[in-house]
Amino acid sequence: MLLELNNIFKWVTQGGNRVFLLKHLDLAVEQGDFLSVMGPSGSGKSTLLHVLGMLDDFNEGEYYFQGEPVHGFRDKQRARFQKEHIGFVFQAYHLIDELTVYENIETPLLYQKVSSSERKALVADMLDRFGIVGKKDLFPAQLSGGQQQLVGVARALIGKPRLLLADEPTGNLNSRQSREIMELFQELNAEGTTIIQATHSETNAAYGSRTLHLLDGSWTSTPEP
Amino acid sequence: MFRNYLKIALRNLLRNKLNTGINIISLAIGLSASFVIGLMVYYDLTFDTYHPDSGRVYRVTSRFTSPQDEFVNPGVPIPLPQAAREEMTGLEIVAGFNTVDLHKAGNPESGLDFKDPGPQVFADAAYFKLFKYDWLAGTPEGLGEPYRVVLTRERAARYFPELNPAQTLGKTLVYNDSIPATVAGIVAAPQGRTDLVFEEFLSSGTFQKTDRGHYAIAADWGSTNSSDQLFVRLSPGTDPTAVQKQLDRIAKAQESDYDRQYNHHRTFELQPFSDLHFNSELQTFDNGRQPATSRPVLTGLGCIALFLLLLGCINFINLSTAQADQRAREIGIRKTLGSSKKQLLLQFLGETFLLTLLAALLSIVLSYFLLDTFAEFLPEGLHFGNFRETPVMLFAGALLTGVALLAGFYPALVLTRFQPVRVLKNQVVNTPGKPTLRRILTVFQFAIAQIFIIATLLVGKQIRYMQNKDHGFRTDAIAYLHAPWHLTSLDKNERLAREIAKIPQVRAVALGGNPPASNSSSTSTAVFFRDSTEIQSPLQMLAGSREYYDLYNFEFLAGRKPLNDTILEYVINEAYLHIIGFENPEDALNQNIRMNDENRPIVGVVRDFNPRTAAAKIGPIAIMPDWDRSREYSRFNFIHLDLKNPGDGSLSPTISAIEERYKEVYPDADFELNFMDETIAGFYQDERSLAKLLGWAMGLSVLISCLGLLGLVIYTTNRRTKEIGIRKVLGASLAQLGLLLSRDFLVLVGIAFLIAAPLAGWGLYSWLQDYAYRTELSWWVFILSGVGMIALALLIMGLRTLAVARKNPVESLRTE
Ligand SMILES: Nc1ncnc2c1ncn2[C@@H]1O[C@H](COP(=O)(O)OP(=O)(O)O)[C@@H](O)[C@H]1O
Ligand SMILES: [Mg+2]
Repeated sequence: MLLELNNIFKWVTQGGNRVFLLKHLDLAVEQGDFLSVMGPSGSGKSTLLHVLGMLDDFNEGEYYFQGEPVHGFRDKQRARFQKEHIGFVFQAYHLIDELTVYENIETPLLYQKVSSSERKALVADMLDRFGIVGKKDLFPAQLSGGQQQLVGVARALIGKPRLLLADEPTGNLNSRQSREIMELFQELNAEGTTIIQATHSETNAAYGSRTLHLLDGSWTSTPEP
Repeated sequence: MFRNYLKIALRNLLRNKLNTGINIISLAIGLSASFVIGLMVYYDLTFDTYHPDSGRVYRVTSRFTSPQDEFVNPGVPIPLPQAAREEMTGLEIVAGFNTVDLHKAGNPESGLDFKDPGPQVFADAAYFKLFKYDWLAGTPEGLGEPYRVVLTRERAARYFPELNPAQTLGKTLVYNDSIPATVAGIVAAPQGRTDLVFEEFLSSGTFQKTDRGHYAIAADWGSTNSSDQLFVRLSPGTDPTAVQKQLDRIAKAQESDYDRQYNHHRTFELQPFSDLHFNSELQTFDNGRQPATSRPVLTGLGCIALFLLLLGCINFINLSTAQADQRAREIGIRKTLGSSKKQLLLQFLGETFLLTLLAALLSIVLSYFLLDTFAEFLPEGLHFGNFRETPVMLFAGALLTGVALLAGFYPALVLTRFQPVRVLKNQVVNTPGKPTLRRILTVFQFAIAQIFIIATLLVGKQIRYMQNKDHGFRTDAIAYLHAPWHLTSLDKNERLAREIAKIPQVRAVALGGNPPASNSSSTSTAVFFRDSTEIQSPLQMLAGSREYYDLYNFEFLAGRKPLNDTILEYVINEAYLHIIGFENPEDALNQNIRMNDENRPIVGVVRDFNPRTAAAKIGPIAIMPDWDRSREYSRFNFIHLDLKNPGDGSLSPTISAIEERYKEVYPDADFELNFMDETIAGFYQDERSLAKLLGWAMGLSVLISCLGLLGLVIYTTNRRTKEIGIRKVLGASLAQLGLLLSRDFLVLVGIAFLIAAPLAGWGLYSWLQDYAYRTELSWWVFILSGVGMIALALLIMGLRTLAVARKNPVESLRTE
């Protein structure tokens, strides 16, 4: 078991009322899973991924990651887990505009005390693998959306995370670019990376090994273990 | 990691060129002011710090108080050092020495003579125990006998160019053609900055053989000469107050009957060695030296530097926090990529440090110009090269780090507080940092600038007031020249006056002593008997011929001029009239003043005139004819001239004509013609320096504040482009938009004025109290400064807001 959510609740208080973003949510993800989370806009997909990615708190429930109780972690521990085990891919790419492609991909390694020569080798591998060696000195603004997202994926993978979280990774891409990214995900999954992606698209969801549907912060069908 | 940060820092700085420019300039101004002022403080504080245990070293000085006045003398009576050695406890070293300016030193072997070689001192071994010198040859004990001298290496090289230190020992010099002295030692020049300017140390025993030798022999407690110095070093752990008590006891024991009768007191005081350099009243041994910047002035300068630095930091804080949302995304992403808060904090502080470093580079250039501009404030030994001294570099490094922390810490905190989820959800916080804090800081900035503006205006007003104030005598088109001090003779002066009077451009000539206002004055004690009470008071004496009164146009309130130039009759001023208790000037006429046991009548009373600056109250003054002429000595060594105003404005032909006559009478003397109005302007040198300094502080603080304002306005207008576009579409006029955008800032500038005005008013009120005659603290000074500041702020905001408001709204709406 890679991670497990037990009865997770997350809410915000608005005008004295609780508005539930996540409600009574259970989830179990095995090592090597490729899970697609579907649901209409506003159903809580991003919120769920942020909770899974330890970027956001939840109000009730338990979250175990590799058997460790994330709900009992201090900030520092959470941050360490996050940086060691989790990679993010965003719909809006979220590359750092002031850094080149090369530097963007390298950045996570800077926070993991990887030696400079090792960093060089890892980034070079990654550039090579994604076929963007020729773009390494360009800035994000000089790339197309698909290329930016490739860089985004490369950056998410550089730290060799166990879990890749992708929030509508192809939301801003055309269908050809989408297909490329999805095929890449399939490959990564085949190599052992656990992936959870949020998506609107049935086609994209089909790349996963299973699909869960979210509505108003709850599953519409009970998740299979 | 570091390279990555550096790169992103540089790219950020380059991307926001305007912000970067504003920040660098503002910080550089504060830094250069701090560098220069830090350098001054460092320079002045490092005098004579190299002597052993200098914290325990004191100079003993004398203070005299009488019912009329109080003054100090840096010297002590000649017997005091001996008494200190014999009667006092707690003193480790007692070093009495006597300074002297021997006018000639001769080397009999080579036959070479050296005129006015510079200050010497009669000292003994104790002097060298107290003050650190490196001995190249001989020992301090060599000064144990009369007719010995110790020289610095430089001095020895001048007198004995062929010889090395060891060879110089035993050689003989002859001072003033009559005092032989055998060289007993050679010392190296002092190793640090020092006020001990002596280069020749004659043995104390030699002192009795000089002109002043009879004083040494008489050992009189009743006379005090500033050249008779006493320095002591207290034993470790000795309380200075205990030493002071012993000094008080000695002073008491030596009080004379006269002192007791007239209630005169003399006290001996301990002046800490570290105060020597700063005390302009007690002076150092170098009479030609400009006085050191006084501690209050240094403190004032320090405050100005600090304020400028703060203003620069505020710009940085305001601009970085205002634009924090631009960087929020980067921060959010970095956090999801695993950056800790600490790492981000370090990254931003590093960026600030880089910016500060760039500012520092610029400030080095600025410092160069500042040092130049303020040369008049700076001691001669201080120059740009002092920056290379290690303590200065350390100070600069510490300052940079401090400034980077001060400026960068809060923005860094604000930036790193962003929560990544909010950023990622594109809920980027619209009001990053607290706008209230930004407002407070802006108010602070403008209040400081405002205070400087008000101060500059008012100090300028006071200077104008003092310079234009009626001095009570004529000052325009009046010049004076003095005869050479030592060659002066009444005959020659009278001849010179007659000759000069023949020059057509000279309207009138008068012989006399000092002009009515000058830097030198002589004051005697006058006694006036009224209804059998004795009124004793100091009375400043001016010597003037009958023509002197006409030339300076004194206004007589009663009586007349003296009958001739030798009769001993007093013309007094109103101040003295009041001291001797008269209201009506007529009543004082024909009353006698007793001075030096002679009674002489008052024959005239003139309206008060200012004998020096308007800062001081007008004291009692009497004008007399040439009162010492019966003693074969004339006080008439000045010639006062009333010059015609030449039509073409050029005085130089007149001046050369006067010089020609002067050289005929005094061929060897230097000719110098002084103009009365320039002399008076010279009295206000300090005030003008202050005005200049304030002017600069004002200009720089206004510049920094306005730059900051500009940055904020540009930022706000950029953020509100869309709103402006919509409002325009809805029909808002340019003026309405301008007001909308500037209102907030105008309110801030207004609040700053409300804070600054009373503070400045209070500070300037107390400053003005030092002046006996002062300008009004007029309301218009405040209004003018407030209106000026607001107008400037409006101009800056107006230019920017109009530019934005004039944009085609469709364009700005489309870009969103
Ligand atoms: N901090 C918040 N405060 C209030 N409402 C929020 C907050 N965060 C998210 N929401 C709301 O929660 C719901 C779920 O949002 P989200 O997880 O972004 O949905 P999805 O990614 O599926 O479109 C939305 O209705 C959103 O408006
Ligand atoms: Mg979403």
